[in-house]
Amino acid sequence: MDEEDTRDYREPCAQCSEVTWGITDEGKFYCRSCHNVIEKTKEVTTADSFTANARIFSISKGLRKKTKLEQGREWYLCEGFQFILKLQADAIQALGVCPQFKDEILCSFWRRYLQKSRQGYTKKPLKDMMRIIKVSESSQSSDSQSLDCWSSLSESELEEGQSDENSGPASTSRSRSPLSDDFTSVCSGSVDGRFHRPQRQRTRMLMSMPMTLAFCSMSLLWLRESITLSELLRFVVEGHIPYINVYQSFPEELKLYGKDTHIFRVDSFPSCESIQQHIYKIAAFLDLPRFPEITENCVLHPNILCIKYLMEANLPDEIHSYIWRVVKRTGMGEEASLTFDPLAKPMIPINYDIKAASIVIVTLKLIFKLDDEFEWSLSNDAESVNRNKEGVEIFNFRKWYKTMKQALDKANEGVEEDVARYMWQCKKPIFYSSKTRSVVVKRKRMVVNLQQQFKKLTGSVPRTPQQPPSSFQFTWDEESQDKPCFHGHSLRAFLKEGAVCDLLNTGYWHTALKQCRKEYCKGHLQLEEPHLPRSYIFILNLFSFMLKVDSALLHAEVHETERLLLKAKAPTTPSGKRRRRVLHLIPCL
Amino acid sequence: MDDLYEELLATVEQEASERYDQQTSILQPGFPLPLPPKLQLPHSRRGRKESGFHKTERICLRQILKALFQHQWQKASALMTNYFQNIEETSYRRQRSSCERFWRLGTEILRHHPRSKIDDFNSFLDRMKNIGVKNYLKICLEHSFHLLSNGMLEDANRQLSLAESWRCKDTCATQQQMIQGYRGLLDYYTWVQKRDALTETEKYDYTAATAKQDMQSYFRQASVNLSAIIKQPGVWDPFVLSYVNLLEFYDDHDAALQMLNDYAYDNKFPPNPNAHVYLYQFLKRHQAPWRKLVKVLRILQLLVPSHELMLEFCSLLAVPDKRKYHHEALKVLFSLLDYSSWKDNPDVWNSLEKTIQLVFKVGASAWIKEEWASRKDWWPAFHFSAYQAKKSLAENAPVAYSKAFVAGLLLGKECKYFKTIYKGGRKKRPEMLKEMKKYITNHNLAE
Repeated sequence: MDEEDTRDYREPCAQCSEVTWGITDEGKFYCRSCHNVIEKTKEVTTADSFTANARIFSISKGLRKKTKLEQGREWYLCEGFQFILKLQADAIQALGVCPQFKDEILCSFWRRYLQKSRQGYTKKPLKDMMRIIKVSESSQSSDSQSLDCWSSLSESELEEGQSDENSGPASTSRSRSPLSDDFTSVCSGSVDGRFHRPQRQRTRMLMSMPMTLAFCSMSLLWLRESITLSELLRFVVEGHIPYINVYQSFPEELKLYGKDTHIFRVDSFPSCESIQQHIYKIAAFLDLPRFPEITENCVLHPNILCIKYLMEANLPDEIHSYIWRVVKRTGMGEEASLTFDPLAKPMIPINYDIKAASIVIVTLKLIFKLDDEFEWSLSNDAESVNRNKEGVEIFNFRKWYKTMKQALDKANEGVEEDVARYMWQCKKPIFYSSKTRSVVVKRKRMVVNLQQQFKKLTGSVPRTPQQPPSSFQFTWDEESQDKPCFHGHSLRAFLKEGAVCDLLNTGYWHTALKQCRKEYCKGHLQLEEPHLPRSYIFILNLFSFMLKVDSALLHAEVHETERLLLKAKAPTTPSGKRRRRVLHLIPCL
Repeated sequence: MDDLYEELLATVEQEASERYDQQTSILQPGFPLPLPPKLQLPHSRRGRKESGFHKTERICLRQILKALFQHQWQKASALMTNYFQNIEETSYRRQRSSCERFWRLGTEILRHHPRSKIDDFNSFLDRMKNIGVKNYLKICLEHSFHLLSNGMLEDANRQLSLAESWRCKDTCATQQQMIQGYRGLLDYYTWVQKRDALTETEKYDYTAATAKQDMQSYFRQASVNLSAIIKQPGVWDPFVLSYVNLLEFYDDHDAALQMLNDYAYDNKFPPNPNAHVYLYQFLKRHQAPWRKLVKVLRILQLLVPSHELMLEFCSLLAVPDKRKYHHEALKVLFSLLDYSSWKDNPDVWNSLEKTIQLVFKVGASAWIKEEWASRKDWWPAFHFSAYQAKKSLAENAPVAYSKAFVAGLLLGKECKYFKTIYKGGRKKRPEMLKEMKKYITNHNLAE
């Protein structure tokens, strides 16, 4: 620190003529060799070296001393994000992903990001380029003209210049202008927090909190790990992966202040789509090559992912053979359409979980028709058969619906309770500026007092302790009464008599297949919902609960899968499925 | 949720008789209606996505209200600990609107929680005064009222002094008036204490004269303050009751009647059923003529058709040889039974049975048809299902028989309700049912 501040002062000492200056605790200069304290303070130095900007310093001088007391060491935003990423990576590692995840994949992505955004690991950091411009400009003008030079730059340029000067850890080794130091210390705890602006975030890919999750998800995708994006977000919501209020666990020296609070504080959980968008952007920005191929053996392949959803939704295993056919028919299992390639145009979507769920739903529609009639009438048949016969039980849609409905309602209640009890505020108060500090601290104290008072009245209301992380939200048991398991049931009631896999159902309904432009189409499901069969809506809600995505999004994906399925030609082999009778439920909207 | 919130507010306000609402008559001058709470509640605005923090706030509020209505005080206080995190909300607009909610919800919980003590209450309200400065006066007044109802007159008085010392622009005049009104209430309670201390024997005692004088001075203070505040348009139920009590004690019936009349019939006042109830009770206590009593209740019936005084109204109307009063009674009874709270009340059904018989006697069955016309779509399912017949026969036989009579007349003796009762009750009350059947056959209204 001392060196940085004294570097610009090159006068020899009056007593011993050495040029080794240090700074005392009071901020005064002293000679390191003879310990002679001179009448020179840090601020004066800066004013000396930049006489043109003396006015600015005199303004910021008063503030600086105050903030100095609160501040830890100087730090950069990317350090903070790196710390968060490390915490998240540790948490994900603890979930049992492959050990390469943190040290090889995520780390190299992160390094590449720092390099690409020229924040670090680069010989030519962004700030240097800007500095060259600045130096060349200032060298043209003499010292006395420097004021003109500064004023000739527009304000935005001025800030930009400074931000770039400070936008990397590498810059610590270089002489930093004390000017920017003063500026930043006023507005944010971190050095570059002040220059972190939403507009710039877009153009220069500056980090944001959702992007940390995008990095994690991208690394998982690279490793073809079984944790899908929706699952990752669920772990975030359940608190297994740190996200909300992570800044609490920052080391003491990283003080959050001013603009930093806006950057690190989050008041919502990100949605699947927004993270996906971030992944697309980051991957393109990092110039990543094609990701490892999603083959049939990968967990992310629809064939395998669907098994998971079948298990979770408590559906018979037999359905999988139909799923397999649907995947094949629609071509959704092909590597080319699954493997993420950042450079491909059009972009290959990577919402494997939603795709898989839509395949399951389409298959269910094929088997049970889900038109509020067919499935119930066949359930009656299944019930009577089950009553008379011993042996493998036949799948009864009604019974399944009742079980699932109960489980879903209960789970929804639990989720709502969790949402209601979620604590968003962190224990340590953070404040935007020192002006509001007293108010914030006072309010915090008030909250704590009130909470203590009411906690006394709470008594011992039983609250379920946090569950360990699990891939499944619903568990089914062969033995238990209230959570019966349907996995082993046979689909015989829905098949033609004597046939192995010929379905009894020959009709298939779907909504209008016309593709609509995504940006204009948002409330598709809302419009259609009153006309859609209730059993379909239930299944949609069930899966949207399981994936924690909006049911409208899932509906759109089902629609997309149907389009692929119906576009595919009917097989020429006579043994294949019969051509389906297509019912247009709603011809057009 | 809004309804719940509205109800909550209503109960809180009713109990505390907190009638200091600056928002009245903002919408329509001359017609004082409080702003619907919907306008006060911050909702997720359409188009903008709700943040997770606000979602938590919304759902937490909903669950607290649910817990309050189900009287789960422990759960409510547990949720409340979470809800307090919203004090740290940074948006000024939201902060302002939520301050009142913290106060109202917290008070409600503390008032009902079995383990809360008056100290908790005091410290809570003191804190609330600090976060919601806008509500300072309201909180002080309500605090004082709560202390008053707990018999802590001294502390209540201190709260009023606190409120008095607080200054805020625009509110000074009304503020003074409110505080004086509450002072009047305090004086009244002191007066009540003194009155109770004066036992019957002491009343004629010489030494009691000073005590009486003391009482007289409290009476004067209280009556000045109370009458001043009651003159303002608003709902002042506890104040009115106290004032009436005072006046009655000193036999100033005319003044009391005048005040109650103003309170009930002045158009400047918001419509308040209780005003009519108090007037009616007063008139009844002082043996007012039948005509006056009926007049008051008739207006009350228009305001609250399901009021419990309606049965009394019907019995008042049951004057022999007065056709038009039978018609009115019939109407009142039918509209009473539109409300589910009266569904299984034996008295109502019984008097309906009697009134119908009377109406038939005077030969005006058209009246019944007229009443039935608007109800025939939904009453059969609401009152006369077979399930209800079985249930009421098992639990509440008198209701069942009366209802069966009405159902048989209105729907014919083939209707489910009558048939079920007839079958079920044949063994126990064969003669009565047979007679009933006969009556129904003779006087059938069903087409």
